[in-house]
Parts: sequence; structure tokens; C-alpha cells
Amino acid sequence: MKTSGNLFRCLRNGLQAGVVFGIIIIFLVLIGFDETAAQLIGKFLGNQGEATSSAMIYNLVILLGLLGLWTGAYAAKPVGKDTWGGVLIAGSGAGLVSGLMVAALAFILGTLNTAQVGLREYLAELSPDAIRLFLFGLSPLAGALAHVILFLGTAVLGSISARGIGRGAWRTKMGENWAQWTKPLSESALMKQIRSHPIMRYGIYGLILLFLIGMPQILGQYWNYTVGTVGIYVLLGLGLNIVVGMAGLLDLGYVAFFAIGAYTMALLTAPEPHHLVWSFWLALPLGVLLAALSGILLGIPVLRLRGDYLAIVTLGFGEIIRILSKSDLFTPLTAGPRGVRNVAGPTLFGHPFNNDVVFVYLIILAILLVIFVTIRLENSRAGRAWIAMREDETVAQAQGINTLRAKLLAFAIGAAFAGLGGALFASRNQFTGPEDHTLMVSINVLCLIIVGGMGSIPGVIAGAFVLKGLPEVLRELENYRILAFGALLVVMMIIRPEGLIPSRRRHLEISRGEDSLDHPEAGVPEHVPEPVQPDPGESRIP
Amino acid sequence: MKATVSRRARALNAYRIAQIVLGVLFAVFVVWRLYIVLFVEASYGPDTWVRLALSGLILGGVYALIAIGYTLVYGILFMINFAHGDIMMLGAFAGYFVFEALGAIKVPTSADPNLVFLNAHPIISVILAFLVGMTIASLSGFFLERIAYRPLRGAPRLVPLISAIGASIFLENAAQLLFGAQRRDFANPALLTRGVGWIIKIGGSDVIITYTGVFTFVLSILLMLGLYLLVQRTRMGRAMRAVAENKAVASMMGIDVDSVISRTFIISGALAGAAGVMWGIHNGLVYYFIGFIPGIKAFTAAVLGGIGSIPGAMVGGMFLGIVESVGPAALGIDYQLKDVIAFLILVLVLIFRPSGILGKVLSEEKV
Repeated sequence: MKTSGNLFRCLRNGLQAGVVFGIIIIFLVLIGFDETAAQLIGKFLGNQGEATSSAMIYNLVILLGLLGLWTGAYAAKPVGKDTWGGVLIAGSGAGLVSGLMVAALAFILGTLNTAQVGLREYLAELSPDAIRLFLFGLSPLAGALAHVILFLGTAVLGSISARGIGRGAWRTKMGENWAQWTKPLSESALMKQIRSHPIMRYGIYGLILLFLIGMPQILGQYWNYTVGTVGIYVLLGLGLNIVVGMAGLLDLGYVAFFAIGAYTMALLTAPEPHHLVWSFWLALPLGVLLAALSGILLGIPVLRLRGDYLAIVTLGFGEIIRILSKSDLFTPLTAGPRGVRNVAGPTLFGHPFNNDVVFVYLIILAILLVIFVTIRLENSRAGRAWIAMREDETVAQAQGINTLRAKLLAFAIGAAFAGLGGALFASRNQFTGPEDHTLMVSINVLCLIIVGGMGSIPGVIAGAFVLKGLPEVLRELENYRILAFGALLVVMMIIRPEGLIPSRRRHLEISRGEDSLDHPEAGVPEHVPEPVQPDPGESRIP
Repeated sequence: MKATVSRRARALNAYRIAQIVLGVLFAVFVVWRLYIVLFVEASYGPDTWVRLALSGLILGGVYALIAIGYTLVYGILFMINFAHGDIMMLGAFAGYFVFEALGAIKVPTSADPNLVFLNAHPIISVILAFLVGMTIASLSGFFLERIAYRPLRGAPRLVPLISAIGASIFLENAAQLLFGAQRRDFANPALLTRGVGWIIKIGGSDVIITYTGVFTFVLSILLMLGLYLLVQRTRMGRAMRAVAENKAVASMMGIDVDSVISRTFIISGALAGAAGVMWGIHNGLVYYFIGFIPGIKAFTAAVLGGIGSIPGAMVGGMFLGIVESVGPAALGIDYQLKDVIAFLILVLVLIFRPSGILGKVLSEEKV
């Protein structure tokens, strides 16, 4: 009786996994991801081909097979006592359901395609070639059958291998072994001495510096441009990190300060529309200053707002700036939707130099400066005030922190960093216009600090490389980038809200906060002020 | 000690003074512009004002429907459902596809061999479009809550908001990838052709009261009435109000809080879906981005009326629609800047009266 109950649960797990994965795969096919991913796989395996060539079909089979394996592995959740029967039932159920769903789609699309119905008019990515590829070049019925067989086979295989390896067991074991091997070494007196020795520290700094100096010389023009873009996003991320990560003020209109920096640089140095041809070095600090001032100006009216209200107001502010910069009203000032051309680059001793290598150096210098300021701020009175404010504004106020001033300071400094980024951006591209300053910039920056880890400097850098650098490497996936950002935000919030490389403090907080996530009882009051108490873990760490 | 206290008091005073100065400046600006436009230039006749007010009312009805969704969810979960505008967009797309499909079914009669179902049975077609649109939108609302919000219940408030932003981006781009980026014409039945309507004479010139406009406005009022009755008169509405009041106590009274939250998302999704189909029928264009700006404006409307209050959302929506439509002409500024007016109203309301027109005065905690 008990085993049959377990088997039933296995079957239910399998069917559930099958439906979920079936829907996901159908969605991926409808947005044309299968073709793109097959091309990408072809690039890695070195067998690229025409849209419906056998090479592409081979790549597609690999892609769908991997998805099928994942379906099976996902379906094989441990249920009560482990039985191979249960695993098989779960795997085959999942494979059958997802296979049938995909096969139904394949059959419908194939039939419509042979009937010459123009699907593209409604579903933009479904070209006849894409559909033929999806059917493996077979007739609708045969293609659908092939899908069922493929998914059934791979899902069963996936479920068996998932159970055979043991869910995550190898990872824990490896970690244990690693710790066992390295523990004596890392705790030995010699290692401690080496690690804490200043030569070691400066040695590492020196290596990083050497790398930073050497890198732009080796990279080509394209990669320098990409690295420069990533660098500018690092600047923006570090700025927003102060506002959101440290002070806890969710600012969705961050792009406004970026725009102010960029427009200051552009309007002051470009021959049009004002004939003000100033020097780059004069416009740069002015742009930073203006951005900081506008940060304070925005800060004053919204000082008393918290959380989500602040987010919407700042979003509105960012949109206002963009609409104004585009409008006829401001066209004499900002050149309207056309944008400003011929923005000056930096000059040194009368020599203009604006190739990409120089800009990479400039951006790296700016980042180093910003990192330095951030680190100094983080451990200063102001930084501690921000963190206290982020935790609980009322308590912070009761502790004697002037929250009005702390907020304004956070806004001003965050805005100054964005202004710096904007000025460099405009100068490097020799152009700026309203389309450079859309809401997507704010969202990108927010994404990168959340993915990287709020409040952590290495996290911001890693986030910028993952979100801005990776899509450059995987150019094929360009269309799906923003879609993936959206999904990534949701997924990160659910499984790892502290980010890839969290700051230590943040990590402790969120893992402590997870206790309440485990009991999503209705009785949890909305806003529980966390008890302010010294964390016992804090004192134990030397 | 005393010094710090007085410094804080001074800072607060300075803030209040800045508030008052800002308010007076704004009021003076508005009065001055109104005076210039109405009495000095006087370039618009009464017909123009009526036209603008009518379009404002229609727009306001749509905003109000979306704003109710924000208010319902905020009242219960204290979170901004950022993806709500995109749910409206999905509803609009569903309505579009229904009309396209019905427009392709031929029902030839002897009088007209090319007659299509859409024109042969316009009422059934419209009902079908609304049913499908509202169903799709409710389902998306339901799954949105299940996938993106429910696992985050009890997390710090920034976490579900970020998740909602992510969901919004996801939905927009999914729609763009699925249906393409081009703008599509919403193919209405012939009965509801856009721009056609009753003609009345005001001040010697014609003002058209379009059929689509009247239809949209009446339907939005009916839906709002229905929602009001649902919330005030039914058992489910009582449960919703109880949960909004206090989740802990409500669950002790035997109310399944999770299911009430799910139903709230379904109801607000249905209203947003209806708003989407109306948007399509009246404005005539659907594409992946139509949900974003109306969504933010509807949020503005919800805040304006007092977030958490259903009548407030209705009043706020109507008010915002009219201001947005009449405002640029009345203040004599460029029509391009109408979005700026809406955002400016949001900022001003949040600064001067965060509790909105009809809202109860919330503690600062909730703002």
C-alpha cells in the first residue's frame, strides 16, 4: 500500500515536471529560441550549416535532448524510500507528457506550414524554415513522433542518471574533500603569515594593475570598445550600489543622472548646437557636479518617501528627463531627438587622443577612483549611517542619525558617479541622444547590482561582466538578452536574493531573514522590525 | 542633546517651508497659464474643450480599471504589482487575436458573399473578445502571483518589487518575441468603426461622440459597479476586505488567505484584460509596449485617489484621464509633454498628500 502511494507520488511528480517543461519548451520554440540555440551549439561544435541542413538538425537534437535530460532529472525528486520503479515512472511520465505536448505543437505547426498558412504574420519568429527545422525536416506526423521518442528516451535517461549520481551528493563530497585537503594548509602559521603580509597584498594589487595596463594593448578595437562599455556600467553600478545597496533607496530613474552627465559633456564640447567647444577636462568635472546637484534636487522632494513609492517617483523623474530632452520645447537646448554629434574627446598637451585604448585607460582610472571613494565611504560615518538607515529608518533616526542628510548624500554621490559614467560615455561615443537614456539603462544597472550582489564591489564588477560582457560574447542571443534579464531578476529574487558575490553583511542578513520564508504563514505581519542585536557570528570571525 | 533636537526641528521646518514654497509656485504657475490660455489668447472654442473632456473621460475609464488592480493588490500585499500594465497588454493581444480569427471566418449570405463572422454577429464577437481577453489576463495574473510573488511572501519589501520589475520586463519581451515588434491594427467589427459616431453641434462646430468611446466608457463604468458590488456585497468580497484589514486575524477567522490573494490577482487581471481590449477597440493599435505607460499612469491614478481605496482608484483614474487630456491645452504647453504632466502629478501628490484624495491617512510606515 505504501509503495503504491509512493509510486503514485512519483507519477504525479513526473507529470507535473512534464507539464512545466512542456510549456517552457513550447514557449522557447514559439520565440524561435530553438533555432538560435542550435546555431550557437553549432558554433561550439564546429558544425554550422544552413537553416535546415542536417548539421542544424543534429544540433537541435542535442539541444532538445539536453532539455529532455533536465526534465527527467527534475522529475526524479526523491519520494520516500528510493525505488528504481518510482524513478522510472517519474522519468517516463515526464518525458511522455512533455514529448506529447511538444509533438502536438510540432504536428500543428507542421500541418499549417504544409498548408501554406503564413504564421509569421502573427508569430514573428516562426518562419517556414524554422518550422521545418523544428520537425527535423520530416513530415508533420513523423516529426511529432520523433519528438515523443526523443523526449521519452532522454527523460528516462535523465531521471536514472540523476538518481544514480545522487542529487547533489558529489558536490557535497567534493566540497568536503577540498576542505579536508586545504584546511591544514590554510590554517598553518606560515599561510597565515603569508596572507597577512603586506608584500602579498601589494603583490596582488601590482598584478591586477599590470593586468589592467597590459590588457587594452592586447585587445583589438572591438574588444576594447566592449570592455569600455562594461567599464561604464561598472561605474553606474557602483553609483547605484551606494543608493540602493547601501542606503536602501530603490532608484529607478538612475538614468537621469547618466543623461545629465552625458548631455553636459556633449553640449559643452560639441560644435553644435551651442558652439561652446570647451575642453574635455573642463566639461568632465562640471558634468559630475551637475549630476550631483540634480541628485540633491531630486532628493529633496522625495526624502520622506520609502520603498516602492520612491521607486515609482524616481522612475517618473527619469522618464520626465527623457521626454523633455526629446521634446520640441528643449530642442534648442538639447538638439532634440537627433542628439548631439561630435562630442569632444580628451586632449593632453594639445594632442587630441581619442582612440579606444585611451578610453579604456580613462574608464579604468575612473573605476579605481570610484572604488576608492566607495571603500572609504563604506567604512565611514556616512556609510554606517546608510546601512543603519537601510535596515530600519525609524531605529536609525532614533539612534541620532540625520536621515535627511544621509539620504541626500547618498543621492548626490550616486548621481555623481552616474554623471562621470555619462560624461565618459558621451565623449567616447562622440554622440549622445535621448535613445541612449531610456529606462532600460536604469533597469540594466539595477539588474547588474542585484545579480552581482547588492552592496558588494566585486559583486558589481562581476555583475557588469555577466550582464554586459557575456551577451557580447554570445552575440547570437542578443534578442533574448532582455527577456533573460527579466527572468533572471525573478529567479534571483527567489533562489538567491543576496546575489552572486554578496557582501558579507548582506549575506548574513538575508540568510537570517529566510527563516520567515520557510513559514509563509498568513500570520506574519507585513513589516516586522528586525530585532537589532549583535550578530553572534560577527564576533567569532577574526 | 538639545542642539541636535533643535537642528532636526530646523531641518524639518526647512522641509515644510520648501514644500509650501514649491506648492505656491506651482499654483501660481497653473493659474497664470490658465489665465493666459483662457482669457488672453482664448484660441480654443467650447467645442475643443468638450472634445478634450470627452476623450479624457474615456481614457479615465480605462485608467480607472487598471488602477483598481493596483489598489486591490496593494491593499492586500502592500506591494506594487509592476507587471500589471503588461497583463493589460496581454489582454489586448488576446482580444486582437479573437477579432482576427473571427474576421477570417466567412459566413456568406445571399446579400453579401464576403460577409465574415465578425460583422455578421458583432455583439457575439465583442463578447467573445472580452471573455477571452479577460480570461487570458486573469490566468496570467494568477500564474504571475504563483511564480513570481508567492515564494517571496514575508521577504523584505524591496525583494518582491524587484521580482515584479523582472516579471514586467519578461512579459514585455516575451510578447515582443512572440508577436513581433510591429504595431498591429485592431480590426473592430464594422459596427464599432473608430472615429464614427453621433454628431452634436457645440458652438457652431461638430463634435463627434464616437461609438467606441461611448462603448468603452459605459463598459468601464459597468465593470467598476460590478467590482464594487463584488467587494461590498459578496462573501468573497468580505474575505478580501478582511485580509486587507489584517491577514493574521483573517486567517484566524477561517479565511484561506492564500486563496484570497490568488482571487485578488484573478480579479485585477480580469479588469486589466478588459481594459486592454477596450484600449485596442478604442485606440486601435496593439504592440508589446502598450501596457507600460498606461500601467504607470494607472498607478499614478491609484496613488492620486488614495492607494488601497477602490472608489479612490476610480476617481483618481477619471481625474488623471481628464487632466492628461485637457491639461496640455489648458496650460498652453506642447501635447508631447502630456506624459510629463501625469508624472508631475504623481510627484506632487506624493509630496503633498501621500494618502491621496480619498485615502485614509496612512502612517509614514506605509508610504
